[in-house]
Amino acid sequence: MATYITRRLLQGVVVLLLVSMVCFVMFRYTGDPVLMLAGKYATQAEREQVRKAYGLDRPVYEQYLTFLKGLTRGDFGRSYVSQIDALDMILERFPATFELALTAISISFILGVGLGVVVAVRPKGAVSRMIMAGSLFGISIPTFLIGILLVMAFSVYLNLLPPFGRGDTVQIGFWRTGLLTLSGWKHILLPALTLSGYQLAVLLRLTRAGMRETLTEEYIKTAWAKGLSPAKVILKHALRNVLIPVVTIAGLSFGELIAFSIVTETIFQWPGMGNLLLTSIFETDQPIIVTYIMLAAFIILTINILVDLLYAVLNPRIRYD
Amino acid sequence: MTKWLKSRRMQSFLGDPSALVGSALLLGFLFGAIFAPLVAPMDPYDLTKVDLANFLIPPAWMEGGVSDFPLGTDDQGRGIWSTILYGLRTSLIVGVSVVAISSVIGIVLGMLGAYYGGLLDAFIMRAADTVFAFSTTLLAVLLLGMFETRGIFTVIVAICIADWVKYARTIRGSVLETKDNAYVLAASASGAKDARILFRHILPNALPPIFVVMAVDMAVVIMLEATLSFLGVGVPLTEPSLGMMISIGKNYVYAGMWWMVVFPGATLIAMVVGINLFADWLREELNPKL
Amino acid sequence: MRRLTLMTLVAALVLALPTMALAKADLVVATDAPPKSMNPHAYSSDANLSYMSNFFDGLLQRKAPEGKLAPALATKWKRLDDVTWKFELRKGVKFHNGNKFTAADVKFTFERMKDPKYSKLLNIANSIQSIKAPNDYMVIFKTVKPVPWFAETMHMNFIVDMESSKGRDDGDYNTRPIGTGAYQLVEWVKGSYVRMKANPDYWEGAPKYKTVDIRPITEEATRFAALAGRQVDIVNGVPVTLFERVKQMGHVEIIARPARRCIYMGMSNTAGTPFADLRVRQAIAHAINEEEIIAKIMRGQATLAHQVPDVPTVGYDASIQRLPYDPAKAKQLLAAAGYANGFDITVAGPNDRYVNDEKICEAVAKYLAKVGLQVKLDVKPKSIFFDELTDYKHQFYLIGWFDGSFDFGRSTEKLLHTPNKDMGMGTYNGGKFSNGDLDGQIIASSSILDRAEREKALQAINRMSVKEVAWIPLHYQQDIFAVVKGKNVKFTPRSDRWIVAKEIR
Repeated sequence: MATYITRRLLQGVVVLLLVSMVCFVMFRYTGDPVLMLAGKYATQAEREQVRKAYGLDRPVYEQYLTFLKGLTRGDFGRSYVSQIDALDMILERFPATFELALTAISISFILGVGLGVVVAVRPKGAVSRMIMAGSLFGISIPTFLIGILLVMAFSVYLNLLPPFGRGDTVQIGFWRTGLLTLSGWKHILLPALTLSGYQLAVLLRLTRAGMRETLTEEYIKTAWAKGLSPAKVILKHALRNVLIPVVTIAGLSFGELIAFSIVTETIFQWPGMGNLLLTSIFETDQPIIVTYIMLAAFIILTINILVDLLYAVLNPRIRYD
Repeated sequence: MTKWLKSRRMQSFLGDPSALVGSALLLGFLFGAIFAPLVAPMDPYDLTKVDLANFLIPPAWMEGGVSDFPLGTDDQGRGIWSTILYGLRTSLIVGVSVVAISSVIGIVLGMLGAYYGGLLDAFIMRAADTVFAFSTTLLAVLLLGMFETRGIFTVIVAICIADWVKYARTIRGSVLETKDNAYVLAASASGAKDARILFRHILPNALPPIFVVMAVDMAVVIMLEATLSFLGVGVPLTEPSLGMMISIGKNYVYAGMWWMVVFPGATLIAMVVGINLFADWLREELNPKL
Repeated sequence: MRRLTLMTLVAALVLALPTMALAKADLVVATDAPPKSMNPHAYSSDANLSYMSNFFDGLLQRKAPEGKLAPALATKWKRLDDVTWKFELRKGVKFHNGNKFTAADVKFTFERMKDPKYSKLLNIANSIQSIKAPNDYMVIFKTVKPVPWFAETMHMNFIVDMESSKGRDDGDYNTRPIGTGAYQLVEWVKGSYVRMKANPDYWEGAPKYKTVDIRPITEEATRFAALAGRQVDIVNGVPVTLFERVKQMGHVEIIARPARRCIYMGMSNTAGTPFADLRVRQAIAHAINEEEIIAKIMRGQATLAHQVPDVPTVGYDASIQRLPYDPAKAKQLLAAAGYANGFDITVAGPNDRYVNDEKICEAVAKYLAKVGLQVKLDVKPKSIFFDELTDYKHQFYLIGWFDGSFDFGRSTEKLLHTPNKDMGMGTYNGGKFSNGDLDGQIIASSSILDRAEREKALQAINRMSVKEVAWIPLHYQQDIFAVVKGKNVKFTPRSDRWIVAKEIR
C-alpha cells in the first residue's frame, strides 16, 4: 500500500510537470502580450522596452525555467492585464467556485441517489417512469442550455430569482461566503441547479443500475427472508454497496464538474475562477490561464488519488502492488 | 432481406418503442442536415442572400411573422429554420468526425498498449489517465483557448485530442480479457502475425462495448461542440452552429424574442435525446460490462 | 453560565452577519467593464481610468458634460515656450493616508510613468525631457519635442503619493489605490464590485454620496436584468439590442448622448492589390449602406459619420461629405477598375470591443458580397485582433477611434501616416495606407502651435483622407445611460463615459 501511494504521488508530480510544460510552451505562441502591456500609444521602441522588462525577449526554455523556479516558491507570476499576483487573483475567486460546486454536488448527490433508489425499487411505477424520462433529458441537455432555460423561466418570465452574481456576501477571514445571507441563497440556486443537472442524471442512472443488480443478489434475498424492514434492507444493505462505485465515479468526474463550472459561471456572471479563466483566455492573460490549469490539475489529481485510495480501503478485494 | 428483418436483434429493435423513436429522430435530423441546401428556404451563410432588412422577424404564426421565415429570423436577417438546418450539419460533421477519428486512435493505441504491455502501455495509459482526469470538456476548452484560429477543423482536432482516451481505456479492458483466451493463444502458437491476431481475433471480440461508447460519445460530442461555440471558443460567427445561435439569441430573451433560443435549443435537445435513446437500446442489447 | 455566554455570542454573530452584509451603498452604478488594476497608470483604457478618476486627481480635470479642461491639483498652467510647460500646484491637499501633496509627488509620478513595469502611459511620459520643481508648489516640464497637446492629457495622468509608493509591494500597489481623490477604496471584490467611501477632506468639498458601489457587468442581458430588478441606480452602457425594452420601463430615465468614438473601416492602398486603385476604394465606400446599419444593428442609437474626428476635435471640418450608398455606382467603379467579377476581400474586426462590432462587420461583408466581391469575414477577440492589426496583417478592417486630447494631430500620426517604427508613426494604420503628400502634411502640422493655423492644417489632412478614401467613416456611437427614478439622482454623462462619482448629485 505504501509503495502504491508513493508511486501515485510520484506520478502526480510528473503529470503536473508535464502539464506545466505543455501549457507554458503553447501559450508562448498565442497572442503577443507586449502590445497589451505597452499601451495604445506606445512606439516600437517602447514596446521593445516592455518586452525586455518582462523577459519576453529571452528564449522560451529560459522563460520556462524562471517560471518553474517561481512555482517552487508559490510564485506563479503576475497577470499581464492587472499586474496582480496570478495565484492571489485565482485564490480570491476560489470560495465562490467552491461554494457553487459544493452546492451543486450536494443537490446532484442527494437527488440523484435518492431518485435512483426510488426508480430501482419501483421500476414500473408512473413516478419512476417520469423520473427516468427526466433523467434522459438530464443527460441530453447541455449545461449552458439548462442555465439559459432556467434564467428564461425563473428570472425573465416568473421574476422569482436573480439571474446573476452572488448577492450579498460576508467576509470571514480570507473566505468570502454567500451562504450566510438570504440574498446569497437566492443567487446560488439557479447556477447550482444548472451545474448539478448533468451529474444528477448520471448519478441517478448509476444508482438505479447498481441497485437493480444488487437487489437480485443472494444476501439481499436473505435479508428480506429474515423479515427486516424494507428501509433497512434497501438503505443499509443494498445502498451501501451501491454507493462505493457511485462515489468513485462522482470523484473521477470532478474534472467534468470544473469544466461545467466555467460554463455556468459565464452564464450567471458568477465571480468565480471559471469566469476569470474565460475572460483571461479572451485577453490572452497567460499567467492566469497557466495558474488556473495548474491549480485545476492539482485539485483533480489529488481527488483522483484520494478516490483511488478510498476505493482500495472500502473494497478489500482490490489489491495494489 | 426478410431474414435480416426477422433476426433476433432486429426484432428487439422493432419491439423497443424508445429505440424506434430515437432512430426516427436521428434519421430526421440526418436527412435535414444532408439535404439542408434543398430543404432550407435560404442559405443563411451566403452573404449575398441575407438581408439586414429582414432582421428580428417573429415566427410565421405570430403577429408580424412572414411565411418566408417559418421560425422567424435573427438579428442579421437569417432565417432561424434555415440556420438550424445548416447548424445541424456542423453538429453532425463534428460528431461523426470526432467519433470516427478518436475511436480509431483510441482503439489502435489501446490495443497496442494492452497487447505489448510494458513501457508503451505505461506511457499510453499515463497519458490517458491525465487526459481523463481533466475531462474532455475542460481539455477542449483549454486547448481551444490556446489555438488562434477558430473553425470546425480546430474544434474537431481539440475534441479528438481530449476524446480518444475513452476508447483506449475501453478497448484495453477487453483486450486484456481476451488476450489469454484459448483461441488467441492458439492463433499465436500457429505462427500468426501480431497484426493478424490483433485485428482478426482480438478486435472483433472487443468491439461490442466500443459500439456503446461510440453512441454515447456521439451525444456528448454534439453537446460539447454546442457548448464550445456558445462560449465563443468553438466555430466562428461565419459558420452555422446551434450553440452559436443560442449564444446570439440569449441577449434577446429579455426583449421577449424567445424564438432565437427556443428553436435551436429544442433541436439540440431532440437530437441528443434521439442518440441517447438509441444508445440505451444498444447498451441493453449488447450488455457489455461498462 | 459559560454555555450561556457562548450561546449569546453565537446568536449575536448570526444576527450581526446579515446586517453586516446588508449595509447597502448609497449609490450603485453598473458599468460594462471591470477595472483591471488599481494602479492608476497600469491601463490607458477609459474603462480603467474611469475607476481611477474617483481615487486620484490629475493636475487638471475635465468636467461633464463636454470635457472642458479645468484646474484640479494644479490651479494654473501655462506654456512658456515650444517645449516648456509650467504648472502651479494647489496647496493644502492631502492624500488618503494623510501625506501632504507637493511637487515632489508630481515629479515622482511622471518618473514612475516612464517605467513599463508600472505604466502603460509610456508615450506621454517618454515625451518629457525633464521635470523641475523650483518650490513645493510649482512644476516645470520640458518635453523632448514640441507636444501641442501636452496639457490636454493632464486629466488622465493621475498623481500618486511618493512616500508611500516607494518601496511598496507591487501587489499592494496594484490593488489598493492611495490618491487625493474624492473617494477612498473600501474593497475591490474582483468580478463583483468596487466599493468606495467619500473622502471627507476632499479639496473640492466632500461629495454627496457617502458610499458608492460600482458594479462591472460585462453581459448586456445581465445589465438589463439589473436595471429591470432595480438593483442599480445608474447603468452605464444600456444595450442597444434591448433599448426599446428599457424605454418601456416606467421606473427608468434614459439619457443618450453622442459618443466621441468614430467607428470606421480602415483600408490599405498597397501597390499590387486591388486597394491600390482609388476607384476600388470608392466602390467599397459606395457599397456600404450605413443608414441601414444605424437603423437596424444600432437601433438608431448612432450618428452617421462623414469623417473620423468628431465636432469638438481640432481638425473637424463641417464641409466634408461621405460617399453615399449607391451599389450601382459601386459596381460601375469596380468594372472600370477591371474588377467586374470582383476579388477576394476579408473584412476583419474585433468582436468584443465596440458596440455590436462583429454584427457591423457581418453587415459590411454582406454589402460587399452584394456588389460582387468574394468576401470573407474574420472577426476575433480584441486581444488577438489588435495584435494582428499592429502587425499590419489586415487590409480592410473595422476599428473605432477617438482622441482624448481633442486634437486630430496625434490621431493622424497613429492612423494615417505611413507606418514607421523608428518614428513611432502609423502604429494603428493597420492596412499600411501610404500617401507621401499626406505624410508630409502630418509632419508639418505637428510643429504648428497657433491654434487657428493648426486647425486649418489638420482640416486639410482630414479632407484629403476622405477624398483618398484612406478610411470609410461609419458612425459615431451613441452612449446610452439609464437612471432609476425615485432617488432623485442627478447624473450628467461625460463624453469619455467615465463615472466620476463626485459629479453625481
